Amino acid sequence: MHSPRDRIEFIGKSMLLIFMLGAPRQSNGAAEPVNQHNVLPILHLRCAACHGRQEQKAGLDLRTVESLLKGSKDGPVLKSGDPDASLLIQKITKGEMPPKRDLVKASVKPVRDVELEIIRDWVAAGMPLAESERPREPLISEQDRQFWSFQSPKRPEVPLLGQAVAANPIDLFVGKRLAKAGLELAGQAPKRELARRVYFDLTGLPPLPGEVDAFVTDMRPDAYEQLIDRLLASPTYGERWARYWLDLAGYADSEGIQHADTLRPWAYRYRDYVIRSLNSDKPYDLFLSEQIAGDELANYEDADGFNEEHFDRLVATGFLRMVEDGTNANITNFVPDRQDNIDNEMRVLGSSVFGLTLHCAKCHSHKFDPLSQADYFRLRAIFKGAFDEHDWLNPAKRRLPFGHPEELKRWRENKAKVDAELVAIKASEGLDEEAKKKALEAAEKKRIEQPMVRALWDRGQPSPTYLLNRGDYLQPRELIEPGLPRALVSPGETFRPKPPWQGSGKTGRRLAFVKWLTKGDHPLTARVMVNRLWKHHFGRGLVRTSGDFGQSGERPSHPQLLDWLATEFVEAEWSIKRMHRLILTSRTYRQTSRVSAERMELDPLNKLWSRMPILRLQGEVLRDSMLALAGRLRWEQFGPPDPVDVSGQGLVMAKPKDGTWRRSVYLRQRRTEVPTLLASFDLPVMSPNCVERPESNVVTQALHLMNNELLRRLANAFAERVSHEKPGGIGGKIRHAFRLALGREASTEEIDLAKRRLSPLVERDKTQALRALCHALFNAAEFVYLD
Amino acid sequence: MGGGLGQAALLSLLGRDVPGAMAEVAYGAAPGQVFDLKPRRPHFEPKAKAVIHLFMNGGPSQVDLFDPKQELTRNHGKSYFNKIAGEVENPHSAGALLRSPFKFAQHGQSGMWVSEAMPYFAQCVDEVVMIRSMFTASITHEPALFNIHSGRLFSGHPTLGAWISYGLGSENQSLPAYVVLEDPKGPPINRNQNWQSGYLPPVCQGTRFRSTGAPVLDLHPGKDIPDQVIDLERDLIGMLDRIHQRRRPHQPRLGARIANYELAARMQIEASEALDLSRESPATQAMYGIGEDKTDSYGRRCLIARRLVERGVRFVQLFIDGQIWDNHTKLKSGLRSACERTDKPVAALLTDLRQSGLLEEVVVAWGGEMGRLPIAQLDDKKNEANSGRDHNKNAMIGWMAGAGLKRGYVHGATDEIGLKAVEKTVGVPEWHATLLHLLGLDYARLFVRQNGLDERLVGVHEPDIVSDLLA
Repeated sequence: MHSPRDRIEFIGKSMLLIFMLGAPRQSNGAAEPVNQHNVLPILHLRCAACHGRQEQKAGLDLRTVESLLKGSKDGPVLKSGDPDASLLIQKITKGEMPPKRDLVKASVKPVRDVELEIIRDWVAAGMPLAESERPREPLISEQDRQFWSFQSPKRPEVPLLGQAVAANPIDLFVGKRLAKAGLELAGQAPKRELARRVYFDLTGLPPLPGEVDAFVTDMRPDAYEQLIDRLLASPTYGERWARYWLDLAGYADSEGIQHADTLRPWAYRYRDYVIRSLNSDKPYDLFLSEQIAGDELANYEDADGFNEEHFDRLVATGFLRMVEDGTNANITNFVPDRQDNIDNEMRVLGSSVFGLTLHCAKCHSHKFDPLSQADYFRLRAIFKGAFDEHDWLNPAKRRLPFGHPEELKRWRENKAKVDAELVAIKASEGLDEEAKKKALEAAEKKRIEQPMVRALWDRGQPSPTYLLNRGDYLQPRELIEPGLPRALVSPGETFRPKPPWQGSGKTGRRLAFVKWLTKGDHPLTARVMVNRLWKHHFGRGLVRTSGDFGQSGERPSHPQLLDWLATEFVEAEWSIKRMHRLILTSRTYRQTSRVSAERMELDPLNKLWSRMPILRLQGEVLRDSMLALAGRLRWEQFGPPDPVDVSGQGLVMAKPKDGTWRRSVYLRQRRTEVPTLLASFDLPVMSPNCVERPESNVVTQALHLMNNELLRRLANAFAERVSHEKPGGIGGKIRHAFRLALGREASTEEIDLAKRRLSPLVERDKTQALRALCHALFNAAEFVYLD
Repeated sequence: MGGGLGQAALLSLLGRDVPGAMAEVAYGAAPGQVFDLKPRRPHFEPKAKAVIHLFMNGGPSQVDLFDPKQELTRNHGKSYFNKIAGEVENPHSAGALLRSPFKFAQHGQSGMWVSEAMPYFAQCVDEVVMIRSMFTASITHEPALFNIHSGRLFSGHPTLGAWISYGLGSENQSLPAYVVLEDPKGPPINRNQNWQSGYLPPVCQGTRFRSTGAPVLDLHPGKDIPDQVIDLERDLIGMLDRIHQRRRPHQPRLGARIANYELAARMQIEASEALDLSRESPATQAMYGIGEDKTDSYGRRCLIARRLVERGVRFVQLFIDGQIWDNHTKLKSGLRSACERTDKPVAALLTDLRQSGLLEEVVVAWGGEMGRLPIAQLDDKKNEANSGRDHNKNAMIGWMAGAGLKRGYVHGATDEIGLKAVEKTVGVPEWHATLLHLLGLDYARLFVRQNGLDERLVGVHEPDIVSDLLA
């Protein structure tokens, strides 16, 4: 088998060959036959903005050989064999086309001399047509296919560990490895700790003391299973787990790139879609299909009236509309800017769904994995019907007019009202011009925006895809047809997209793609997802590089367990909640986080899962929990994101409504206005998405938790609540505050300590003493780190 | 994530010094790694221990400051637009070739050319290497800013200062490694994205220090909270955390967190002290132009920069509000005004660092995100007296001074009219690589694994160190 090093050299040599053979023309000008495939990419790049799909100035369409030969409304623009007599060439040569003063307006650059030369040569040669060369690429060897993650997961035998057959298979797989190291699963976490763990894990919110008590005293054998079912059924589950998926999608409420950081008004619908889908336990295969090809799943174009399912599926395609995007401004809307945008979306797709670093093959064949550059452009071709750099929809045009009936009703009523008002103002005679203008402007301001959906949809007639040498838009090479990564399909398996329904202009390419992606024996789809679920429950995946299952990623620590979970996931009809239940009911998950010296010695990095790791709360969970304890969390689902405020000092805080806030997932995620608390607790910068949040321990966290005025006010509110719920002496109040914040009784040592330290304050001002305690609890390690 | 903690990190958190372990912790750090700012060893013996980056927002005009062009004067008024139409951001307002409205003279022993707009800097030319042959990759501010700060045309990537913090940590545990001194008048284009940490740990991002009021966000509690309450709370937190830790042995991150709260307390004192300019003599303050209308603001920031590098801050970056060097129109008055705000303070900083010996261990870097075109940009009324210059990506100018660098040296050249860098060209990756080199960091070995790629400051480029600049 090739070692990675062999692979580099092997590819290196073959790539060299490609550069020598594959380039359409030699730079030394040696006469090589030129055909339409040398010319069309140039016309797309330099001319199609005004002579293409969106506009055909002078009736001229330069996208295909046929339309090119047809010429403009005034006749042919090329004269075969005579470049000097060809109008198109004359216009370019004289510098009239593309018009120089309008270059930025059209986001086009002038035709380069070398490009003009190619067009001239082609015309001079009589405009010959030829098949495009096939891309030269390393063959996929049997060894390549043997790589663990390129083979379908096979359901392994569950090891017997001298235990009852009814045991959770997870524990048997984990237990077997532990036994080899002379260990066994650690003892179970006390019920109280377990309840807290599972509440935070599934809902991202602290349990009420009564809830914990009820669980602790519930002696039914299935008390824990019941608790899990209850939490999985809670709508707060979706709000918690959506955040993980939004990281993968690179969710943002603004476009970025431009300083203006324009807001994306309808992006939130996608966030709501994710929350709803998780709460309804939408099967993962459908969840993916909707997000990648929702527009090709059902004929929304010819549907009558509002259809919830169609609406959802279009919203879902917002998944690949999340990367930052400067193409709303002409100056950052040139073809390479659009290419970057598409490449970033491919990067999101690869790292989130495939667990492969597909984007590495953009400029050269992948250095470690058997993914050729042609494979990458085959994938780009699959998406070409929706992402076409030569027929680009800027952000404002990527919306489809869809809305819920009640939204539409509100919008229509508003429209009628505003329109009527405008008519009335215009007709009124008492107003002078100035006053009229003002009144009209005031009336216009009352207008609400038409309900829209940000979507990705196939528009048919994609421009041809050419492999770009070194990923450079100036170096198109061979024509590429849509296709699947060769290493992941069996030899002979073909990619045959067809229009998704009769009469549809759509290519159906993405539909064919998701059908392949979600087939039960796909080598990666299920593995990647179960690994993520594991990672979010345990803080680390079975494959630690959760976005890279390729050669340069890590191998799974428990390959059999991973495959068992993957096949189980498919058998469970891709139900995410069933996987949660399976994992959470394992003894592996219920282990204590306390670690003995012996365990530390034998499994220092917890690679064998010999204990539950202590996990720091995510920034969002921390914030939501403080709001909840303070009684200031307003539980209100969905809808437009909540605004944030930027203070003169640069502090970014959410704006309250009636003194309350919603959960962090509903905060506006503007790239340039990241809430300070969340930023210092590792809310990722989406570049373009985030596969692994880092965990940091930095001084700004301590400063913020200690000194931030709002958090202090929240601590005060928490103290008021404690006081209100527990009248009487300071001792009882201290105990109650511990129960609320930490989910357990305070120890005698802690009560004594708190009383002693607070005594100078208690004598003077009991309220202040309790406030200080509550504020200290927000800062306590036990509040921020979960056992 | 508890399991993800590397052995080396674990030992370092336990306070044991493991030779060579630092590098393993930082570079290509694993997911789940917990980060701090403990000092880390460079890859090789560094020339410099800190950098002050005087960032000149907007794109200072090379042909009007440090790169005089006879040919431009000679061909003033000749049409040139058609040759460069694809390189102009505002083709509609493009005019003819425009000579510099400023007079130039040679200065110092090096005889370096400086425009009359910078009389103070002219006295310091023998300290600097002037790089006339820089260029960038975009004619638009946003991408060009991302490029100069993070080596990419997109946001979301770690900036130079973040990489340096990541590679070297901080020498002063009571101050951040990377401090940004923003203009109190307002944020620059791209705002905080200019100093973000991208996929590096947030601890690596630039911390904004303000030159008035509380220097750091949330550094101090609100005024109405009595000191007694603060002290008492701090004690209580420490005690509760120690009980918590005692019940959970072998969990290094809990110890690290306690240490972090102690650091927060120290930082309140140290940061306030670093920003207290009243500790500087009146003569020093006057030298920086503090108290003078035009220079007070920038002078303060320059002096704070010196006080920060003195205290072990690794990377200090100064910004100016808006785009004072973005002289699309009224080049003559606009450029002069930008110089008047910055020239004296910058010269004072160089002089001060030289006199105190700090210039032996600190690098000062001056420059913007792009250059400007030799042709005029005209206003709506085509009034030539109001001519300015549009953006230029093919030529930009910058200088550096200090540790490990030559003195009084001019590097590279632009073409006859200053349109394009042509000799010994220095791209942004080369510039970045050279700065890292001065700090003892090898750009190729300073990486982090992100989505399967080893991301570096220079991306996929493999730049050469600009060794001509080195002493």
